[in-house]
Amino acid sequence: MTETVLVTGAGGVGKTTFSAALAVTCARRGARTLVVTVDPARRLATALGVADLGSEPQPHTEEPNLWAAMLDSAASWRAVAMRHADPEVATRLADNEFFQAASEHFPASQAYAAADQAATFVQARAWDMVIVDTPPSGGGIDFFTAPAQMADLVGGRLLRWITGGPIPGRRFFYDRAARPMLRIADTILGSGLLERVSEFLLDLRTTYDGVASRGREIEGVLREASILVVTTADPAPVTEAIRFYRQLPALASTPAAVVFNRSLPEEWATAVPDSGMSADVARLVGQWSAETLRQADAREEFSTRYGAAVASVPWRPDPPTDLTGLADLIEQSHGLPWDRLLPAE
Amino acid sequence: MLDKRLVLVSGKGGVGKSAVATGLALLAQRHGLRVLIIEMESGGGLSAHFGTGPLAFQPTEVRPGLHAMEMVRSEALLEYLQLQLRLPGMGRFGSVARAFDALATTAPAVREIVTIGKILWEVREEKWDLVIVDAPPTGQIGSYLRAPQSISELVTTGRIRAQADWMADTLADPERTALILVNLPEELPTTETLETIDWVAKTEVVGAPTVIANRVLGELKAKVPASGVVTEMAALHISLWAEQQKWLERLPTDLTLPYMFGLFTPTEVAAHVSDELEALK
Repeated sequence: MTETVLVTGAGGVGKTTFSAALAVTCARRGARTLVVTVDPARRLATALGVADLGSEPQPHTEEPNLWAAMLDSAASWRAVAMRHADPEVATRLADNEFFQAASEHFPASQAYAAADQAATFVQARAWDMVIVDTPPSGGGIDFFTAPAQMADLVGGRLLRWITGGPIPGRRFFYDRAARPMLRIADTILGSGLLERVSEFLLDLRTTYDGVASRGREIEGVLREASILVVTTADPAPVTEAIRFYRQLPALASTPAAVVFNRSLPEEWATAVPDSGMSADVARLVGQWSAETLRQADAREEFSTRYGAAVASVPWRPDPPTDLTGLADLIEQSHGLPWDRLLPAE
Repeated sequence: MLDKRLVLVSGKGGVGKSAVATGLALLAQRHGLRVLIIEMESGGGLSAHFGTGPLAFQPTEVRPGLHAMEMVRSEALLEYLQLQLRLPGMGRFGSVARAFDALATTAPAVREIVTIGKILWEVREEKWDLVIVDAPPTGQIGSYLRAPQSISELVTTGRIRAQADWMADTLADPERTALILVNLPEELPTTETLETIDWVAKTEVVGAPTVIANRVLGELKAKVPASGVVTEMAALHISLWAEQQKWLERLPTDLTLPYMFGLFTPTEVAAHVSDELEALK
């Protein structure tokens, strides 16, 4: 049985470092652990041993139970489309000017590729734990909605929009005399653009059955996973985390915990400047105790208003860059729901 | 900044670009300008920073003289077809509107030209003194800024092509358009900001960006006691400060916003950013 942990949240809150740290700790507690990461800082990638490697899981040279893989969204979306198309169509798709654009710009495509790759690792059953650092697009929501959106895209919704009715044959687009809409489109767009796009969509549609059934598998994997929402106590990320926390039960499951990164020691909240302090020191105390109070307030909002399990990870001035530093981060954390994260003994 | 017609605010996700965009809008409004602020990502942070409900495609007046709207691609497209191309009887579900929407999902640059086009039409309308955009993050801003050129390469004839040229000119004119990059003095945001600056210098699609460093700590020079909570606070403060200095040295910064301690709501943050920008002016 593979336990899957999806680490989600807005950009810039420290998801990637947290995912790596959690993986190191799980590996050291004896679980064979794969961490799947997105866009890590150089030093973190080096610490995980994935700095110069592709998307295949790599065993860590110094940590026996740890594997790491980097998500390569652009390449893997391509692989997904190729897998589900006939060889001839696959070649035509690969050469199509819109294919790459769609794979880069369709909002859900990178998230889909990430979800697909993560699900593949989970289904391999080669690890006790797969920890996935999910892409931040759409505040993290895209990762969960991508399979359905993707099936919708290749399923021909756009083609039906173009024709205003059934899925057309290739011929449809050559009959301009009977299709005033195509003539208008040509006036605006220049001749043939819509036609070229439609040909691409017709080819893409042949992948529908494959993509749709794969999408259902992926959704199954996501629903079984434990979700951790990472945030900082800063006002904007908290606003996003609340929105995300409320949407997740309908999309996958209720998050196992909300993890507050960059937490300050609780006792700082009650520190007050005294008359013996210089003005600079008094200001220092005032600032950091106010900051600690604000953090307590944000955690409180989650636990009382939304009933969430709340965990905190300490604020470290310099991001950890080696395995011990990463493990320390988790060692000094509070409230992580280990019973829901680690596999049963 | 306030003498421009269009200010685009971008930065890596999580650096506070919505707060800076809102702060700048509040500042411009205080100075009596007619301001429109546009949120490019649906459900982004702008409404929280103004303390209003969700924004819509139709601008709403969030402060006297300051309007805010959210970009909705399908609405922008419909408006473009009706107003700019003067296509009669164009309903939301008209076949050309739908075909266009399909295109905007698939074809490179079409999706971006529809939204950047809407922004540039607002600039051209003269209804506003200043249009501020809470723009897509640095990872995506390139495809928006380059959209007019991309369209010119992709489409050789047609009306959209003819409009691409004035759009490119407006963006590239430093008298009218400014790009602000909000940065945090940390590794990943700084790397991404430097990459964006290089890209802008190479493509010249917009003038040289203005860099605003956000959440910058002040130096602590005072002596602190040798033990207790104050010592811990000072140790964290000093090491965070030193780490920030390292990244500030690598990136030429035009403006610096201080770390805002103990603020509880996005609205408070935006008001403080606005005051800070005023003081810097």
